[in-house]
Amino acid sequence: MSFSVKSEVIDNTAIIAVEGSLDSSTAPKLHDEVQRIILQNPKDLVLNVEKLNFMASAGLRVIIFAKQKLGSAAKLFLVKPQDQVVETLRMTGLLFSVTIVDQYPE
Amino acid sequence: MDTITEFRKFSASLDSLEPIREFLAVSAQKVGLDKSRTYKLCLAVDEIATNIINYGYLNSGIADGIIDVNVISDYEKLTVILEDTATPFNPLETKLPADDELELPLEKRAIGGLGIMIAKENVDDFKYNYENGKNKNIFCVVLSQGKMQAC
Repeated sequence: MSFSVKSEVIDNTAIIAVEGSLDSSTAPKLHDEVQRIILQNPKDLVLNVEKLNFMASAGLRVIIFAKQKLGSAAKLFLVKPQDQVVETLRMTGLLFSVTIVDQYPE
Repeated sequence: MDTITEFRKFSASLDSLEPIREFLAVSAQKVGLDKSRTYKLCLAVDEIATNIINYGYLNSGIADGIIDVNVISDYEKLTVILEDTATPFNPLETKLPADDELELPLEKRAIGGLGIMIAKENVDDFKYNYENGKNKNIFCVVLSQGKMQAC
């Protein structure tokens, strides 16, 4: 399974599309992309994870990192996460800190 | 439904994580484990394998470490055993995030212990022991409903 991240900034919102499996081998790529895009001072961050089929704690750590860098006023949207990904977020308490949507803009 | 006994060696490299999950998924399918519980098993094993690669072998100064993956089933349960020869490390002795810590906003959270918590919570039983110079991380998933004591 290939892994890819693609990002763009539209109207002050950073949008990153993540595809494939997010584990310790691939999470650094997303981490770097988040770090790079945050330099543009986006107001909110949108992770399109519709095609993300696996996420381990390495992926959770990138979400925590992103949220910490963005600051508490920013929103972190997850677009269409798969059920198993939502379950992992729930189990680790991260579900409180993200906004799950079916599409963005809502 | 068959019972299985499968074994494969993987190099202790992050590039092995996906092949390990694929190996487990194929094995789990043979014993009829559903998709959701297969995902959870793969997630649990992935977290511990990651620790072995990133910390176990690295801290031991072993560059060409091996992770042995054993998958064994009977009609009641599926057991996965990861074996490695890195420094003894018992994940069950790691301090896990407390419940109140899990409710903290992300900006205030410490990052750590999540992987081991995920590993424990995604299988029916998780055990660790060290014998014959090997760490053994043992994951068990119940195959037949109502047989929770099988693990």
